[in-house]
Amino acid sequence: MTESLLEIRHLSGGYPPVQVFRNVNLSLFPGESVGLFGPNGHGKTSLMKTLAGLIDPWDGDILFGGKRLNLPGKMKTRLSQHLNYDIFRRRRIDPASVVREGLIYVMQGNLLFPEMTVDEVLAIAPSAAGGRPGIQQMQKQIHALFPRLKERRNSKIRFLSGGERQMVSIAAGLLAMPRLLILDEPTLGLSPKMRLELGAAIQAIRETGLPLLIIDQNVEFLCSLIDRLYLFDHGTITRELDSNHMPDHEQIMSLMFESHA
Amino acid sequence: MELETLLYILVSGLVLGGLYALMAIGLSVVWTTIGVFNFAHGTFVALGAYIAWQVSSSLGGAPGFLLGAVVAPVALFMIGYALHYALVKPFERNPNIVLLSVITTLAAASIIESMIQLIWGPREKQIEAPVNGNLEFAGLSFSAQDILTFVVTLFILAALAWFLKRSRTGRAMRAAAQNREAAQLMGFNVTHLYALTIGIAAATAAIAGLFIGSIRFINPTFGVDPLMKSLIVVIFGGVAHFTSPILAAFIVGLIEAFSVYFFGLYWAPSILFGLMIIVLLIKPEGLFGFQRKTL
Repeated sequence: MTESLLEIRHLSGGYPPVQVFRNVNLSLFPGESVGLFGPNGHGKTSLMKTLAGLIDPWDGDILFGGKRLNLPGKMKTRLSQHLNYDIFRRRRIDPASVVREGLIYVMQGNLLFPEMTVDEVLAIAPSAAGGRPGIQQMQKQIHALFPRLKERRNSKIRFLSGGERQMVSIAAGLLAMPRLLILDEPTLGLSPKMRLELGAAIQAIRETGLPLLIIDQNVEFLCSLIDRLYLFDHGTITRELDSNHMPDHEQIMSLMFESHA
Repeated sequence: MELETLLYILVSGLVLGGLYALMAIGLSVVWTTIGVFNFAHGTFVALGAYIAWQVSSSLGGAPGFLLGAVVAPVALFMIGYALHYALVKPFERNPNIVLLSVITTLAAASIIESMIQLIWGPREKQIEAPVNGNLEFAGLSFSAQDILTFVVTLFILAALAWFLKRSRTGRAMRAAAQNREAAQLMGFNVTHLYALTIGIAAATAAIAGLFIGSIRFINPTFGVDPLMKSLIVVIFGGVAHFTSPILAAFIVGLIEAFSVYFFGLYWAPSILFGLMIIVLLIKPEGLFGFQRKTL
């Protein structure tokens, strides 16, 4: 068995004092595309934000490419609720170093930077991640993937449609030269036509061999893009399905309901 | 009123406006980027002036002024950068950050003010102007120092606009201002960018202090007036665009110059505050403002 690219072990977290997810175990292998499916409001996005370093994990390990991204051990609760001065508290995970490692999270319904133009966003995207090699080739690839963005290069993000905004988000994620790209509900609230267009683009990205972790509410759409599926329910992973057992909408509903019983 | 007088008032209003723009731009950039109202901004102006005075008086003349123009902004940049880590960052994830930072920046203002008093004493000082005399232009004569102030101010504002619009770091700062989370996900160190913002604001304040110190006397409490003026400017113009506080600053400068001439020096603040109240009543987001807060 090859070594996994992303390994999450017994991860728990949330917004203190509310725990959102607990004991999450997940692994992702190089070249693989994995899906995560679960009901709204059960903590999928909080889990992804924790992976990206926006929220401190409470306990457990996040290993990426064999390297630990978070501080080991349990998060200590603060000494006093009334002590506001947080200068001595260490972050348990640093979003900048997560990006430098190549784990890129494309946020759900990302509004990006409303007053910046498409070109400006795509210009700053690579520099933040430390400018890995292959950027120029990636830029060409992005133009091929999203021809729409070339037309709208001088419009401000605020004037783009939801789908175009999602395209900019994904393009910016790709320009960071990821080793793993996490797409959080890329087709949320999009028209069927736009969904097809975006689906084709994601499929094309998958075919380049870039590992993907995709979250989506549409089972058929999701299953067409992945090799393996995790079901996520009530703040933890309840089931793992491989490509031979990809469920349709009916099956997944019964699976989700079974796990409740 | 003669045309000549009108022109003189106009020029002095523009020079004043330029200085107000330089002071207000720091305040507005910090507000739009970090969402914090920096009450220590006025003392940044004062501290900058004192440091410039210290440096320039040891050397004297134009070279001294030049040295002050380098040392004061650099020193204030470092102080501003450090203060972000002490005053704002600890409350980053506190929902009351706006209120808490009002208190911490006010505290910093009074500490800095007392430090100035301890180090330099309460006696009034003046920075030696680098240029003397008047420039004759079309039969009118203008103070060379005023012209220098105006030109340098415009240059610094243009440089700042270029930096925010075109440079990599400036764009990153705007990105962090518009969407903190998205900037973090792109790999930007947002805390560093925020500290940089306060540092740059403090550096512009120091330059404003240098110029004010060379036309007026400075004393330890001299930061209060610049803070008030920048406050008026920011409320007057809004912060929707980089240029809105700048335009407002020139309007405020001109209003002040004209009301000093027509109503006298002591009425000028009342007129400004009266106008500010009117603006707040009819257009609370500022004359050039929209109801959004970005760079």
